[in-house]
Amino acid sequence: MSQYQFLIRRGLQGLLVVWGVVTLVFLLRFMTPGSPVDFVAPLDASPELRAQIARNLGLDQPIYVQYAQYLGGLIQGDMGYSYIRGRPASGIIVSRIPATLELAVAATVVAIICSIPLGVLSATRRHQPTDYAATTFSLVGISTPNFWLGIMLIMVVSVGLGILPTSRRPIGLIPAIELLIFQFETVGIRAWIAHMILPAVTLGTYFTAMIVRLTRSGMLDQLGQPYVEAARAKGLPETLVTYKHALRNTMIPIITVLGLQLGSLIGGAVITEFVFNWPGLGTLIIDAIRVRDWPIIQGALIVIGIGFVVINIVVDALYARLNPRVSLE
Amino acid sequence: MPEDTSERMSRRNYLRFAGAASAVALAGCAGEDVEDFDDDDDGLDGDDGTDTGNGDDGDEDNHLHIAQTQNPTTLDPHDHRETTTDNVLLQAYEFHFERDLDGNLVEGLVTDWEILDEERYWIEIREDVPFHSGEDLLPSDSAFSINRVVDADVGNLQSPQSDQLAGVTGAEVADDGHAVVLHTDGPNPMTFANLGSYCPVVQEDWIMDREAEEVAADINGTGPYQLEEFVDGEHTDFTRFADYWGGEASIETLRIDASEEASTRINSLRAGEIDIATAVPPTDAGAIEGDDDTYIADAPSTRILMLPMRYDVEPFDSQEFRQAMNYAVDFDSIIDNVLSGFGDATAQPTLEGYFGHNPDLDPYPYDPERAEELVEESGHAGVEIELHVPAGRYLQSDEIAQACVGYIDDLDNVNCEINMRDFGELAGQLLDGDITSTPPFFLIGWGNTTFDAQNNLLPWLTGGTSQYTFVDDELEELILDARTEVDEDTREQLMMDACARAHDLAVFVFLNREYLIYGLNQRVQWDPTPDEYTRAYEMSLQ
Repeated sequence: MSQYQFLIRRGLQGLLVVWGVVTLVFLLRFMTPGSPVDFVAPLDASPELRAQIARNLGLDQPIYVQYAQYLGGLIQGDMGYSYIRGRPASGIIVSRIPATLELAVAATVVAIICSIPLGVLSATRRHQPTDYAATTFSLVGISTPNFWLGIMLIMVVSVGLGILPTSRRPIGLIPAIELLIFQFETVGIRAWIAHMILPAVTLGTYFTAMIVRLTRSGMLDQLGQPYVEAARAKGLPETLVTYKHALRNTMIPIITVLGLQLGSLIGGAVITEFVFNWPGLGTLIIDAIRVRDWPIIQGALIVIGIGFVVINIVVDALYARLNPRVSLE
Repeated sequence: MPEDTSERMSRRNYLRFAGAASAVALAGCAGEDVEDFDDDDDGLDGDDGTDTGNGDDGDEDNHLHIAQTQNPTTLDPHDHRETTTDNVLLQAYEFHFERDLDGNLVEGLVTDWEILDEERYWIEIREDVPFHSGEDLLPSDSAFSINRVVDADVGNLQSPQSDQLAGVTGAEVADDGHAVVLHTDGPNPMTFANLGSYCPVVQEDWIMDREAEEVAADINGTGPYQLEEFVDGEHTDFTRFADYWGGEASIETLRIDASEEASTRINSLRAGEIDIATAVPPTDAGAIEGDDDTYIADAPSTRILMLPMRYDVEPFDSQEFRQAMNYAVDFDSIIDNVLSGFGDATAQPTLEGYFGHNPDLDPYPYDPERAEELVEESGHAGVEIELHVPAGRYLQSDEIAQACVGYIDDLDNVNCEINMRDFGELAGQLLDGDITSTPPFFLIGWGNTTFDAQNNLLPWLTGGTSQYTFVDDELEELILDARTEVDEDTREQLMMDACARAHDLAVFVFLNREYLIYGLNQRVQWDPTPDEYTRAYEMSLQ
């Protein structure tokens, strides 16, 4: 099977998954207690006003009619109007995507920078203090809830030491880069970095801990292979044996997990965004859930679902390229 | 295997340099200019920002930053129902009337007012009041604002605020003078009070010349601050309006943004990033007071917490049983231990300072023995009841509800359990106009910014409203008489009598008046007001 055939087949499968997500997300509204009218209408609204609001929101239609209208709208990029904001949901959601992507990518970068060297050190210094420290960090990192870690980091680093800001995103990455390139101003990019560090560390800690374990076990496995012994026998420096030969083979499963976890990070950023007041999809979803703004909830969940599907397809394609032993079949 | 010493040294040096570089980079990233950047307006920080470009960035020392719980959902002042949105918009828009610290109506955009007859109410509009656009306020703008709220055919909007001007059918420019006449569907003593709490004044031409989406993203009011930048979901920036009719504001620039998580707001305040944090939980007040740079300011709010009991189902159809529920709860202890002192016990459906409040009524004392006797007298000894509570809806309301349930359950002859509910689901049952679907015993918070008892009494204690839980002929007559009585003294007495009757009937378990708790930076001088708004115009900076 050629790469193109593979992509087309996975694309069609992905469409099926997205359709499932759309349907599930749509039905979620009808499984959830309470009506959006209860949140939109004033507490002392008359039954007539409530009925009028339900009509305005299209909630008086049968489910299948609402579903057909929703699917038809989605095909044209129309996710409906926000119940609360009275504006197209798609525009509101799209405006929040950059912040979430920036956070997810930054967390991934933090994870890669920290986890792989730590995992390699842990494996090459097995049963030494470095190994114990790395495995302890890994255990603590996996066990620590994001919510708690974020608040603790704010209290210690921002309030206690006053080193970094507590929260918010004063500028997006692209405007910061534009400022740097066109006006030679570094303040934008520095502000972006300063505000990004704590959220990225918070979101990336679990991910880092997981990759440390993965790297360590993968390295231990590879370091015992005959080809490693052969490399050492040839007289290659240990650094070269470790990083060029053993780590390269360990990277294949790590890259797969990295790709898949990027999707998880987009979804998992909800709590981190909430704690750090980061204006991404996560805070948007939480705000929307609070007031049952279903067009926003549904749209944002669908966007995250599509993100997962796309990343999965890309990772599968890359995996085959990275590891020729794996067939696209 | 022996390691290469030169390589080890090299790696150490590398790590040393890397560490130093990271520290320098971190320090560089967190420099003072970066902190300043956070509140600066360079017009670049919004993905969908609307930079109106009117005004400069201002002096950082004369800049105020407020963090509240929610960002505004729209900038159209007639198209929302949220206090947090009002809190942003009322920096720039104004109601017709202002209120003094006691909540009494005073002159504002209206300079004189008079009841012409039972269905016509006259207001004189202040002259030489400029909008931010530079044009003067006209009586036609006032009439348009009122009509836009009450009439779905005016102003390209079916306003969700129409019930806030209940009884008003329309407004028109008066034949003589700089005035407007409001028309009502009958005697309506709340007409002026409602104009002091609802219906901000907009400019007719400005609204009609714009699409709805433009009105939702821009501001043109008569208030002391004009919009500088609005980034949906992130922040709203204002600069003071030099031509404000009431005199220029003391604070030059203002930013309002939101952090839903309370600890984020509080940590931002303690780190010196913001000047005011709203909705501080009572449990966090100590940490703010303990910080040299911050302090707590509080004010009683316009919201009352209560436990309504349905008059038409057992055991709550018994006056003795309802009174027993009031005697069973040690509310002083709840205020001390759950609310850290930020609350006032109540004895009637309305609040101190409100028109119609009865000052002779005291809260039911904590007397569990008396409560058990009353339960016996009611004939419902051994009954099992359930309190429905909207989860996390009001300030510490979950904890208050748990404490109330604990006290009632401690009675020897009553078993009480708590049922935590989703607010939307519970509200749907309360508001469907069918009392039989309303839970017999539930917790609710009721806000009323009109400073008039009518809006506390009428919705809950007269039959036929969407959420009534109690009907008593004598009580209902008092409330309905007050609703149409235009003589102030007579009306006040009617409502005071109604409050006394409601107290004796124990229509609710009367809980507490919510407090507004703010964390402030020491440089901010401000006395909070009960209306829940943080108006920068009322503040100054040291």
